[in-house]
Amino acid sequence: MENIWDINKIQEILPQKYPFLFVDRVLEINEAEKKIVCLKNLTINDYFFEGHFPGNPVMPGVLILEALAQSSILLFAALKPDIAAKKPIFYLGKVEARYLKPVLAGDQLILEVRGEKMMNNAGVVKARALVNNVVTTEAQIMFGVKIS
Amino acid sequence: MANKSMDEIKKEVRKLISDITEVPEKDLKDDASFVEDLGVDSMMALEVIASVEKKYKIVIPEEKIATIRTPKSVYDLLEGLMEK
Repeated sequence: MENIWDINKIQEILPQKYPFLFVDRVLEINEAEKKIVCLKNLTINDYFFEGHFPGNPVMPGVLILEALAQSSILLFAALKPDIAAKKPIFYLGKVEARYLKPVLAGDQLILEVRGEKMMNNAGVVKARALVNNVVTTEAQIMFGVKIS
Repeated sequence: MANKSMDEIKKEVRKLISDITEVPEKDLKDDASFVEDLGVDSMMALEVIASVEKKYKIVIPEEKIATIRTPKSVYDLLEGLMEK
């Protein structure tokens, strides 16, 4: 499995930190296609499984979306490293999501994000989360980027 | 795309702007200000731009985006980009 950016590099870029970091590794960056592929390994030790749900460890849909949003920040950083280096604030503008299949403890969640419109101060992306090549979640995410 | 008249495109874009901004088409005056009259924020504007780009397979340059203030400015920009 490829490893373009490891967890240390991811932590340098993402403003989110433990326990709110939902990307373990970046597997692929394609600047020409404005595409990134990231990985989140789900283990029963992930803290949210304790409550969601007892005896039935399903990853919360909002956290899948958060993982896709964090992957979008990583894509932005790959395409616009100079802006990302200034540690801007990334904020969500709008999300449209469709959940197709539950994501469970033990799954390897592949997070694919493609930039539809990437500007210096905002972005629109199409994102999908897959397990074993099956799409579990599809979303369009719009976000703003503000240099503080 | 080449077969569509500017009037048709204008009609389609009006519908698209109306859908995104939730402003009824009848209230969508060509010279209404997105921000002041229509209550459009920067994220909605971005959504309009991304939708227009996708629909007409064009790219609106980032420096032109700041010039978009009214529905008319969207039509003008599109007309300019499609003539190329």
